[in-house]
Amino acid sequence: MLRATIKSLLARKLRLLLTALAVVLGVGFMAGTLVLTDTATRSFDGLFGDVFSGTDVVVQGTSAFSGGPAGPGGGGAEEREPIPQSAFDDVGAVQGVAAIDGDVSGFAQVIDPETGDVVSTGGAPTIGNSWNEVANPFELRSGSAPVGSDQIAVDAGTASLADLAVGDTVDVVTPVGGRSFQISGIVGIAGQDSLLGATLVLFDLPTAQEIFDREGQYDHLYVVGEEGVNPQVLRAAIAAALPTGYEAITGAAAADEQTEAIGEALGFLRTALLVFAFISVFVGAFIIFNTFNIIVTQRTREIGLLRALGASRRQVLTSIVIEAVLVGLVASIVGLGIGFLLAGALRALFGAIGLDLPATGQVIAARTVIACLAVGTVVTVVASLAPARRASRVTPVQALRESAAPTASLRRRTVVGGILTAAGTAVLLLGLFADVPNELAFVGIGAQFVFIGVAILSPLVAAPLATGIGKLFTRTPGRLGTENAKRNPRRTASTSSALMVGLGLVVMVTVLAASLKASASTALDENLRSDFILTSTNFSPMSPRLAEALAADPALGAVSGFRQGQLRVDGGVDFVSGVDPVSIVEVANVPLRAGTLESLGDDATVLVFSGTAELKGFQVGDTVRLTFARTGPQAFTVGGIYTDNSLLGTYTISLAAYETNFAEQLDVIVFADKAPGTDTATARAAIGDVLEGFPSIEVRNQIEFKEEQARAIDQVLGFVIVLLLLSIVIALFGIVNTLGLSIYERVRELGLLRAVGMSRRQVKRMVRVEAVIIAVIGALLGLLVGLLLGWALQQAMGSIGVKEIAIPVGRLAVYVVVAALAGVLASIWPARRAAKLNVLEAISYE
Amino acid sequence: MQAMAGAAAAAARAVQLVKVFGTGDAAVEALRGVSVEFAARAFTAIMGPSGSGKSTLLHCMAGLDAPTSGQVFIGEVDITRLSERELTKLRRDRVGFLFQAYNLIPTLTAAENITLPIDIAGRGVDRAWFDEVVGTIGLTDRLSHRPAELSGGQQQRVAGARALVSRPEIVFADEPTGNLDSKASAELLAFLQDAVKRHGQTIVMVTHDATAASFADRIVFLTDGLVVDEMSDPSAERVLDRLKSLEI
Repeated sequence: MLRATIKSLLARKLRLLLTALAVVLGVGFMAGTLVLTDTATRSFDGLFGDVFSGTDVVVQGTSAFSGGPAGPGGGGAEEREPIPQSAFDDVGAVQGVAAIDGDVSGFAQVIDPETGDVVSTGGAPTIGNSWNEVANPFELRSGSAPVGSDQIAVDAGTASLADLAVGDTVDVVTPVGGRSFQISGIVGIAGQDSLLGATLVLFDLPTAQEIFDREGQYDHLYVVGEEGVNPQVLRAAIAAALPTGYEAITGAAAADEQTEAIGEALGFLRTALLVFAFISVFVGAFIIFNTFNIIVTQRTREIGLLRALGASRRQVLTSIVIEAVLVGLVASIVGLGIGFLLAGALRALFGAIGLDLPATGQVIAARTVIACLAVGTVVTVVASLAPARRASRVTPVQALRESAAPTASLRRRTVVGGILTAAGTAVLLLGLFADVPNELAFVGIGAQFVFIGVAILSPLVAAPLATGIGKLFTRTPGRLGTENAKRNPRRTASTSSALMVGLGLVVMVTVLAASLKASASTALDENLRSDFILTSTNFSPMSPRLAEALAADPALGAVSGFRQGQLRVDGGVDFVSGVDPVSIVEVANVPLRAGTLESLGDDATVLVFSGTAELKGFQVGDTVRLTFARTGPQAFTVGGIYTDNSLLGTYTISLAAYETNFAEQLDVIVFADKAPGTDTATARAAIGDVLEGFPSIEVRNQIEFKEEQARAIDQVLGFVIVLLLLSIVIALFGIVNTLGLSIYERVRELGLLRAVGMSRRQVKRMVRVEAVIIAVIGALLGLLVGLLLGWALQQAMGSIGVKEIAIPVGRLAVYVVVAALAGVLASIWPARRAAKLNVLEAISYE
Repeated sequence: MQAMAGAAAAAARAVQLVKVFGTGDAAVEALRGVSVEFAARAFTAIMGPSGSGKSTLLHCMAGLDAPTSGQVFIGEVDITRLSERELTKLRRDRVGFLFQAYNLIPTLTAAENITLPIDIAGRGVDRAWFDEVVGTIGLTDRLSHRPAELSGGQQQRVAGARALVSRPEIVFADEPTGNLDSKASAELLAFLQDAVKRHGQTIVMVTHDATAASFADRIVFLTDGLVVDEMSDPSAERVLDRLKSLEI
């Protein structure tokens, strides 16, 4: 029996190949993701290990929690207390210390001399650091270390991005504003051109101390022990010599800290990519199900014969399952291979948006291999179970008759489909609206069941939909194509369903993005009052001197700068804005449900967004503990609750309170009004003059600002659609597969049509129409499910600001048209095969 | 397309047809120089034992296969010189087909199957002629049924109607009664004969059944790729006798 299975499999190699391809792509995506993130993690381990390899002990201020080297919108500075020169001297005097150096860091943005923009890559930090002499992680590639207040060194990545060389002059923006420097050298970091795409500017120590307001202070101390001294012992000795509020850790521990933070970020990336990979695998499962169904139908006579010869039902079932296992295994193995290629492609994709992941040698963990093989094989087998059961039900007598397959009860199908859809919707809504653990899993599983439920129900509508769409095609080949699509509603619907999933998700994110844009636009209209909004490229941080300079200008009235930082509340990390309570009312409308804005004036007050306040049970007058990295837990009183978070975020404190609790003081956005009596053009020109000293900052009015927000949302939407594209390709490929198999089934009929005079072109048209109908049915179903999912998501996100739903009808119509065109594309190979049939062979086909 | 007026003219003819399948040692000579004429407005049968080349001859005559050498004429047109596209048009407009089985498209109704070649050509149906043909096969009340809802005999009659409704110059039938019981066979053959006698249709039929052949006006006997005999106004007994003597 096993031999018969394998022989039958090998006999139809092409069919095996096509079936497997669907799983190959999904598994490949999964493998690619895992390889990419594993490789990056290992590279970072190695990277930070190298960076700290020469250092035995690191001294730094204690931090209540780690914000990581890439703080939100920040430079390289972490939120730690600077180290005084006295501590430097004390540590230097400890026994066993061979050499000691300190560094200072903050944000520094390089301005591309050609474009005038900040040289930055995606959201990577823009770091300024002092040059280390001891335990230097920077390797000079050319030139020399910076000396004096007008020299800098830059990383090789930045140098190549902005086309800079040793000797060039370049503007750099720092907390003290923009300044010109000459490039004295170009460096690499532990063998890389840059650290994860971050730009690095190196000053000599005195210059750095001046720029970052650390005169006589350091952010870190790096200590090298004498030959033979144990780093742990040295660390303890140094710790004893430190005043409170500072800690000493070994170089190895410092490396681990950094790696852990990166590891967390990579973990998020891995999860996100795996979601898309699973979507692809899910769609692949539809294809497998469909293909096995067709194969079972085509082999009814063969199976009947086996049963007549004495094979039991179980043997038939097992043989199909074994076929599925073999196909799944082979597909997974090939998928693994493709995964390595895909890892490269994904890395390039991220590189294009500025996220440079190191790729020194691909890491193929055992976990990756096992997971991919398991997922690919299990999914294939599960998808083949229903067809396998159907095969086991074939009776021996069916070997002898040319009878049509009995259609299973339609009523049972409706019931099962209805239940699954309802259950899926319930789980989905629970995940979105109820307080359940692991909401993502609920939403994911709920959505899966909804898709499967609709897929089961879809044959009910396949025939009427096909008739409707078929009305567009009036001539005979088109009509025959329509009839072919209607002939087996289950097969048509099943093929369409794969496209429904892919397109449904695209529709969902499109609706969500449109709703986000509409909501943001409305929120800005309602709450923004200022004439001008100033931001830096990509919302990177700006020096507070900008707000000062603008406030001093006579052409401008109220000027208000916002700062944003991280804090911890109730164990969870969140964002807090720092605003000036006096100027904020001029530039923004802060809708308060309770309390007052003025309460911010006493600097121990916090305003909370209503959504969060409800969730955590905060009321005006309550005391809450906000934990800052630099100052630890602080008690604040809730002074008010506001209902819109599009500008202010979740928590808001006064600028003074912000200055007390954060080490880094940078504005993320500045609002400015023109002075009363001044006209807009004059005010704008005045701002332009001020901006001469701040090269990377742009000014926009409300309309331009809204457009910029919309553009940013569209960019993310585009990126997500690209990731979903793979599942759509798999679905289209399912159409090719189904059509190809159907043509193989209908050889005699095709021969007859050609014999009675249908031309090759007409045959192709017939196949094309069938493909288009399948594709459009999938698109319409996808539209339906996608709209529902998009609506559900929007409702769920209403509390965090996505208040409106927007349905971009034009764009959705374009999707349907594109689906139809994709159907045409999918039909090319099957149509050619159908047209190429030798008429004589076809009609004599046995 | 009207059947040609002037009964004496040949509707189709083969000139020195040779058809060889395969090459070298495995070569099979299905036709070894067949020359035969098929009169217009007549019912001709081609008979012979299996392997005689009768189906091959039909396929070559109908433009479904190309001979290794020799010529085939439909009317005055040498179809061996036509391109693939022109052959398709020939089959659509000037030739009708009736196969042993699988004649109908399962998703179309009987009526749609009957008008299929006309629809493919994009022409209009001659309603009066359609009604007459359908009336003759006796299936006026089953026109909206799908092939799965018709018996084997009814299906073949629908196929026969299809072959006639487009009024081709010539109809080629390959063992049309092969799958039918004697009653259904008789009905189909009577219908074909009627088409020839009353409407002047030209029909060429391949068969191995003496009874079926006896419905024809003339029988051409084939053995081992060559024409060996002819018979006019056949009867079933004479045909059987002749066949016996041909068995070697």
